[in-house]
Amino acid sequence: MEDIGNSNGILLKAVGLTKTFGGLAAVKDVSFDMRQGLIKAIIGPNGAGKTTLYDLLTGIYMPDKGSVIFQDREIIGLPTHKIAALGIARTFQTIRLFSSMTVIENIMVGLHHRTRTGMLQSSLRLPSARREEAWMGREALRYLDIVGLEMQAENLAGSLPFGQQRLLEVARALATDPRVLLLDEPASGLNTYETRELGDIIYAVRDLGVTVILVEHDMGLVMRISDEVLVLDYGEIIAEGPPETVRNNPKVIEAYLGSPLH
Amino acid sequence: MPGGGIIRDELKNQGPQRGSLCWEKKYRQLLALIKAQRVLLIFAIFLALLPIWADPLAGPIHLNIILTMRLVGIFTIAAVGLNLLIGYAGQVSLGHSAFFGVGAYASAILAVKAHFPVWLAIMAAVIASAFIGLLVAPVLRLKGHYLAMATLGLGFIAFVFMREMTWLTGGNVGIANIPELSLPGLRITNDRGEFYMVWVIALIVLALCGNLVRSRTGRAIRALHQSDVAAGAMGVNVSWEKIKVFMLSAALGGLAGGLFAHLQGYIDPNLFTITLSIQLVAMVVVGGMDSVWGAVAGAGLLTFLPKIVEALPKWIGPGVPKWIANYSNYEGIVFGLILVLTMIFMPSGITRGLSDLGRYRRSPFVNPYRKKVVE
Repeated sequence: MEDIGNSNGILLKAVGLTKTFGGLAAVKDVSFDMRQGLIKAIIGPNGAGKTTLYDLLTGIYMPDKGSVIFQDREIIGLPTHKIAALGIARTFQTIRLFSSMTVIENIMVGLHHRTRTGMLQSSLRLPSARREEAWMGREALRYLDIVGLEMQAENLAGSLPFGQQRLLEVARALATDPRVLLLDEPASGLNTYETRELGDIIYAVRDLGVTVILVEHDMGLVMRISDEVLVLDYGEIIAEGPPETVRNNPKVIEAYLGSPLH
Repeated sequence: MPGGGIIRDELKNQGPQRGSLCWEKKYRQLLALIKAQRVLLIFAIFLALLPIWADPLAGPIHLNIILTMRLVGIFTIAAVGLNLLIGYAGQVSLGHSAFFGVGAYASAILAVKAHFPVWLAIMAAVIASAFIGLLVAPVLRLKGHYLAMATLGLGFIAFVFMREMTWLTGGNVGIANIPELSLPGLRITNDRGEFYMVWVIALIVLALCGNLVRSRTGRAIRALHQSDVAAGAMGVNVSWEKIKVFMLSAALGGLAGGLFAHLQGYIDPNLFTITLSIQLVAMVVVGGMDSVWGAVAGAGLLTFLPKIVEALPKWIGPGVPKWIANYSNYEGIVFGLILVLTMIFMPSGITRGLSDLGRYRRSPFVNPYRKKVVE
């Protein structure tokens, strides 16, 4: 945390990422650097390829071209769970909690790759398994505490109100102990108060030493919290830079409002 | 990762640890264990005392409860394994007769032809089934209905092998004179002894699986049931976890099959057809998915009810019309009826259904836990 904000270390580097679905380029030649400790927002109109970009970064899709270097390591081609274990965590635009499991169990799934107990140890409840289980419980509560859900620990994830489900997704992703956290429209469906709270939580996450990439439509949130903004339109980067510059970029205005009538 | 936060259960878990005596800690651990496994303990006591009242009752009600309970125990083992796969991991297998059959045949062949000791043969059968499970694990890439169809085919293939590999399996003639279950030294070969042996194993399986589903692995397989994409993104190796639970399920099917072979003393391929697969799935569904005890309830209900119906005309006596008394296929009717009624009134299985009824006293048509379609 000592080097937050002034480090030039590049944590994640995407080069020439391209993905086409049946002739339609969802992501076209996208390259960007992600510096450690920053909050970067990716914005763009619907269908601009933001979620596809996330799916490429987390190994859910294979790109047609391009590479992603994370901590000096090529991660394209690695399976999803390996990428998660290396330190890239994400949330989902459509909430994908394990809804019939309890809140704390959801977090404990996030702790999966940080623990080792095997089937035999846990079915026999050996002391090592019990110790690890207790550690997981404590650790999970810590993450619930970060997003303020510790009182809900024993409730079913599916029974939480929508806003809390979004927060639980963030906490579950944090539990994988990521270096980079990819948030996919975390504020969609939240009210103004919840959105402000979410902003605070994203700051808290950054202060834990996690680099945050944020796909978001709520411009208020984006402009307020992000250090850098990247604008995608039809799968291509049309602008990148600090929020103030991007906001006044004519290409961005055109992408969002349409071209002026001549 | 660094991070603040109140560790709330710290207080709860760390009592007066240093100061307290060792035996006191042990005693508290024992109490906690008893509390955690109380259902299992009550059920074990019930089973231990069962022969006392069941034996005298067998004559008057024309139903040998002990004999039937042996089968219930075996089906419980298979159904628990299948429940891990279907109820917890969400991977439907309609071919579990294959593993049951492989277990039965492996154990029988080893015991009869290679003169293996019974328990060693059963252990080998478990390993053989798990191995077959590993071999066919690639089908787990399929999802939903496709997986169900593929495993259905698996059951047929296994059946054909059992019937056609005459040199090994004896074909349609089957294998006879399979040695009975017995304990080394003790000669317990009567029904009651077998009943106890089967249920000791079944209870151990229940306890272990009960622990497993509440553990790291159990959470991982429940997670991939609900969203394999999210589970993968959380660092769960989805395909490997599926393979593991499939192998475990196959192994338990093999264990049940092995016990079955030695209990029956005779097996032929027609015991391990699609009907058995469907029965096992029905036990899981009727008993209750994602509940270890559902397997016991399902196996018990689906094994006992047909027998009871069969014995029913004898209870009523000579007044029953001949065509009813002589009609032999009640089993199918009862089986179907149970399935239909459970699906209408308790779609999440009888264990869940009954506990919900007790808890909420709602209309049985309103099921608060009815699964919503995710994705």
